[in-house]
Amino acid sequence: MTRAMPGRPALGRSLLRLFTMQGSWNYERMQGIGMGVAEEPLLRDLRVAGNGTTYRAAVARGAHFFNAHPYLCGLAVGAAARAERDGVPPEQVERLRTALCGPLGSLGDRLVWAGWLPFTSGLALIGVALGFGLPAILGFLAVYNVGHVALRWWALRAGWQYGARVALALREPVLQRATALSGPAMALVVGAALPLVAQYLSAGFLGWSRGALVAVAGGGFALLWWARMVRLTGLRFGLVVLALAALAGWLWP
Amino acid sequence: MTLELQLILLAWGTLVGLDLVSVPQMMIARPLVAGPIAGAVLGDVSTGLQLGVLFELFQYDILPVGAVRYPEYGPATVVAVAAAHAAAGTLGLGLGAVVGLITGMAGGMSLHVMRRLNTRAVHRASAAIEAGDPRVLELLHAAGILRDAARAAVVTAFGLALAQMARAYLAGAVSPHGVMLLNIAAVGAALAAGIAGTLRLVGRGPSLRWFAVGVMGGTAVAFLR
Repeated sequence: MTRAMPGRPALGRSLLRLFTMQGSWNYERMQGIGMGVAEEPLLRDLRVAGNGTTYRAAVARGAHFFNAHPYLCGLAVGAAARAERDGVPPEQVERLRTALCGPLGSLGDRLVWAGWLPFTSGLALIGVALGFGLPAILGFLAVYNVGHVALRWWALRAGWQYGARVALALREPVLQRATALSGPAMALVVGAALPLVAQYLSAGFLGWSRGALVAVAGGGFALLWWARMVRLTGLRFGLVVLALAALAGWLWP
Repeated sequence: MTLELQLILLAWGTLVGLDLVSVPQMMIARPLVAGPIAGAVLGDVSTGLQLGVLFELFQYDILPVGAVRYPEYGPATVVAVAAAHAAAGTLGLGLGAVVGLITGMAGGMSLHVMRRLNTRAVHRASAAIEAGDPRVLELLHAAGILRDAARAAVVTAFGLALAQMARAYLAGAVSPHGVMLLNIAAVGAALAAGIAGTLRLVGRGPSLRWFAVGVMGGTAVAFLR
């Protein structure tokens, strides 16, 4: 049994709520509460059935543990809401949600955190290094968010469209191609950005200070690369080097 | 810096902190955005751009997956720009980095505290959640967002106070050599973090070749400029 799309207001409300998905992120249910809040507008048609018990049970299930990439949570929200409306047994809805956590997390991390975001941010870094200033930043915000909003909207609609067969949505050729391209594109752009940014930031350094900068950057990179096991992070390294620099500056008036 | 400007920076830092995880994740929390806008507020876009780029490199060291704990560089960049702006010229970069990195660390710790508070609130309301009460869900969610806004405001206020102290006690006291060394440390550490973080993202697969091509292209453009 299938039902038609819910009214645009319901999908729109759900989409708006998805933008707040991680507002109540916690160690017990992770994104669960946000998922429940985003799914609720799509479940309102169930309020009439069984004195509201079907609706309440579906809302409660929607708020169970969930953790995936925030931009793709709409896929699980849409799919779970559709499955609830189609009368899929509760255990199957739970299994569907659990099964989606891993793939949506991994896909979103590759596509967005390790692809689209560093790709667009790398383009903005190049723009700033080449002297485009604020327009490069505004361009980054605009371009990044076109992809961001489109991905959230696609995820919600695809989830609703496919319901319990949502795995089919993840096999869509466009998504496969985007995932395959995002890694190399990100690597190319950020690779090009790094030398330009190094030149931009080192413009004020002359003579011995350039040599010292190369030594700190090179030594720091080697340390951060090889000392990952001892949990040396960029932040910790930065704080230690700045403390050493302050001490050296105090000794060298 | 006037009180009005401090309040505008506090509001901007709060929005930036809120954007990181809660609402709406449109990336105003990226240092590359947070810094230049803070610079524009202070009428010093170039310092904002420089510190935005510097902290963006530190940001490359972070992959925000799952429940991983990480520093928060958005409000950190805002207060770094505030610290650097008063100490004009090259001194600003090192001073801004000191204030920003400490604030970034405090921001990361505050995220963990807030998540624990959220956990407690959710745990307390678990019976109502299991009963499927949508009103309780919405209230819990709204409270979480408000908690995050308050957290971001506190972190930004802490950073602005730190910036004020750094300007008052460090700006005039550091020798020219000390200034240069701080700047070298700030830029060197940022480049190291940026390169290491990027290479971790790229991995050893086929993307590594594209990374090498990008580095060669970027180096060529840098030489030709």
